Amino acid sequence: MSSEHINPDKCIACTICQVHCPVAKVTPNFLGPRLIGPAYERFRLLDVTEEESLHYCANCKNCDIACPQGVAISTLNMVARCEYTEKNGGKLRDWVLSHGGFLADLFKYIPTWLKNFGMHNPVTRLLLDAIGISKKAPIPKFDKHFRLIYKKLKQPKLDKKIVYFPGCYVDDYDYSIGLDMIWIFNQAGYEVIVPKQFVCCGLPLVSNGFMKDAAKNAAKNVSVIKEYQEKGIPVVTGCPSCALMFKKDVPEMFPDVVYDSYKGGVMDAQEFLMGCVERGELNFAGKNSTKSIIYHSPCHLRAQGIGLPSIDLIEKLTGSKIQNAQAGCCGISGSYGFKKEKYQIGLDVGKELFDTIKNSNCEIVTTECGTCQTQIKHGTGQKAYHPVTVIRKLVENK
Amino acid sequence: MISTTVIIIGGGATGSGVLRDLSMRGIPAIMLEQGGLAYGTSSRFHGLLHSGARYAVNDNESAKECIEENMILRKIGKHCVELTEGFFVQTPEDDKEFAPKWLEGCKTAGIKTEEISLEEAFKLEPNLSRDISKVYRVPDSCIDGFRLVWQNAMSARRYGGELYTYHKVVEIITESGKVKGVKALNKVTNEIVEFGCDYIVNASGSWAGEMVALSGLAPLPISPDRGTLVVFNHRFTSRVINRLHKSSDGDIFVPHGSVTILGTTSAEADTPDDKTPTSQEVKRLLDIGRVVFPHVDDYRILRAFAGTRPLYGAKGAGRSASRNFNIVNHSEEGLAGFVSIFGGKLTTYRLMAEKVSDVVANMAGVTAKCRTAEEPIIPDVSEHTLSKAKKYFPKGAVNIVADRIGADFDKVLDNIEKSNEKNELVCECEMVTLSEIKYVAQDDASYYLNDIRLRTRLGMGTCQGTFCSLRAIAALENENIEMKLKPSDNIKNFLQERWNGLRPALWGGQLREAELTRAIYLSTLNFDGEGYEA
Repeated sequence: MSSEHINPDKCIACTICQVHCPVAKVTPNFLGPRLIGPAYERFRLLDVTEEESLHYCANCKNCDIACPQGVAISTLNMVARCEYTEKNGGKLRDWVLSHGGFLADLFKYIPTWLKNFGMHNPVTRLLLDAIGISKKAPIPKFDKHFRLIYKKLKQPKLDKKIVYFPGCYVDDYDYSIGLDMIWIFNQAGYEVIVPKQFVCCGLPLVSNGFMKDAAKNAAKNVSVIKEYQEKGIPVVTGCPSCALMFKKDVPEMFPDVVYDSYKGGVMDAQEFLMGCVERGELNFAGKNSTKSIIYHSPCHLRAQGIGLPSIDLIEKLTGSKIQNAQAGCCGISGSYGFKKEKYQIGLDVGKELFDTIKNSNCEIVTTECGTCQTQIKHGTGQKAYHPVTVIRKLVENK
Repeated sequence: MISTTVIIIGGGATGSGVLRDLSMRGIPAIMLEQGGLAYGTSSRFHGLLHSGARYAVNDNESAKECIEENMILRKIGKHCVELTEGFFVQTPEDDKEFAPKWLEGCKTAGIKTEEISLEEAFKLEPNLSRDISKVYRVPDSCIDGFRLVWQNAMSARRYGGELYTYHKVVEIITESGKVKGVKALNKVTNEIVEFGCDYIVNASGSWAGEMVALSGLAPLPISPDRGTLVVFNHRFTSRVINRLHKSSDGDIFVPHGSVTILGTTSAEADTPDDKTPTSQEVKRLLDIGRVVFPHVDDYRILRAFAGTRPLYGAKGAGRSASRNFNIVNHSEEGLAGFVSIFGGKLTTYRLMAEKVSDVVANMAGVTAKCRTAEEPIIPDVSEHTLSKAKKYFPKGAVNIVADRIGADFDKVLDNIEKSNEKNELVCECEMVTLSEIKYVAQDDASYYLNDIRLRTRLGMGTCQGTFCSLRAIAALENENIEMKLKPSDNIKNFLQERWNGLRPALWGGQLREAELTRAIYLSTLNFDGEGYEA
């Protein structure tokens, strides 16, 4: 594994990251990104006792977004957390939460209702609560396995190909997003390939301290990406966290895995689709929806530094005007908000977003990230949809 | 007039070692220091507790002294010493013929060496150059010079020793061939203070020649030799890394707490005060250091500093001058009760103190023996205290604080419990908390923020005082703890001292840092504009 320490020298202690940290704002348990990241890193090299606070970093990456010096703050924290976990052993709870992709793959042939009964009955929830997964947490329900459905799917034969990395949320909890994604790419003239070798991008593994497992996943995924990149077929994902993992974390944490022409590895699907619109490959003539839509930009999307392509995409393709919530982090940060000691922190972080959504009185809530959707539903009662799903709904008048 | 038996001139490692030694023998003594504790060469340390291996070939006597004292300091100075071990590495630029001579020298001096495989060496120190062809392990260690001086002084106080900082000796009073006392200028009040004594120990390092001249004797042939060192922002090596070659410039990297120090140069200096490093020296050190750590340019330089070694002998002897120390009893020149000690090195400070204290004790007819080789400088902090401290200090900081303030930890904890306040971090870069700042500020020897810095490392990390100086002063004001300067001057004085070290290496990350400091203090807080305000 690469437990190579990241040089903390770029940090000038300006503390801008402390101001922008959504977690530090709501709880004293987290001392803030600068302190736990670059400042404490200087002492980690001295082998001092780790701060409890390290475990409160949500890895939402708002510190990385805010940092004017380009310090890999969240990665400093995650490398430290992984080292801690390796030395002291991980929690069962964290293993379970981070190996969702692995577990779901293992159980993919088990009927969905049975899986959900097994997972969501009160007894299981109490057991999970006992190991540290809050019984109040909005753990998403299993859906049919996306790639099993994909196998049986008939797509039109199209010249242009694109590889789609579905990510665990689409694979296990909401296959419909995957189908909507295939639909829109077909509309743009691309046949969608979903390689069966893809595994979890590894972000939940890193966030929960399992660097070695994440390294294995990165190696597997990157070899698949390479195969298609060499054929000139682009790789995209609709999930901002998966995209960020491939673009930023994989090269930062596992530099040995990436190859010279890897570049970003995986592109944001919405950004790619905007390119299609601009090239004239994709349009739905005459669409002029009057629905009111509010959009939440996931932290991991903002951390990619690609703007907010989904807003443009929905507006261009459907004629709607989008309200950008601009209300910060939803608080879930993958599995963070499911954890017993962090459940309330997650809700406190998300409060501004929930209030903004509620007060907007919009008919449709949209955001790319699956767990953001889950948290928004939990915090506002309103279901949130993936932007591509919204486009399909509006275009097909569903 | 303040009377005592022995006046010690110089509050560096040697002086405070002598103060402690004499106090432990029951001999009343007062130490006078022209600046704060460790103002002179002792604050300009590399932080290397020599195993002696560096001197094995050229100066085997020094090597022997080093390894003996190294082993003693590990025992008595646990809180100042970090047991890191050291490597001697052979780079392509080093003469291959040197290794056998060096091994022989280490053997003669009694220094344990062990060759280790390159694979292991690179695993232990991943940042080392892969061009290194040989690695030996030696019992080098790291030592905190500031802490060493402070803890010796604190220990001496417990035995009745006294110290006056910011007191510069301006006159040595003699009467019929015997010392009677000294006059010192209190640099804060500008008053002359008279001290009466029977004996004087001149432990003023690079200033020793000046002090002898004050007494009217022929000056000592002490030539200040300037050494420049570079401090890096983080610890990119966990071991002392020496070059396996004839001692030369820029060939030792020492991890020191959260930072790494590279040094040194050796050049003739005009005065003992010649402490301003140049950018040329810094660049030259980097050029040499790159051979050992090829990515040295990626590591941010916090600052550079220089100090003068009090070398004994002909001017310009530099590296060839012996690192042995010398004791001169001036009775032989007709001034009874006056003893000078100079030369030597931080590693042998205790032995130097012992030997000179022997001379004084002998003159004073005191038979009590030296006990400094057995008794720890500060008592260990109890497990009970450490576990209690976990409630009030960041987890990782507890042991660091214990090393910093030692026996006073209990009092600091008491203060926290009494005041019932949150013990916030004032200096985040070096993990210094409010309670420590308050406690140290109230010490008699703390005149300025800079004195607090030396004892706590306040302002010595990444931000070099940008955030903590203001916070510290604000906290002290809140508590009505007065210092010798008004708050704004205290901060200015502090930042100016930091700036002196920043200037010679002002590029890259540290330049950005300095711009932030300037923006905060000169723009936002208008620190340089006071005169324009009505």
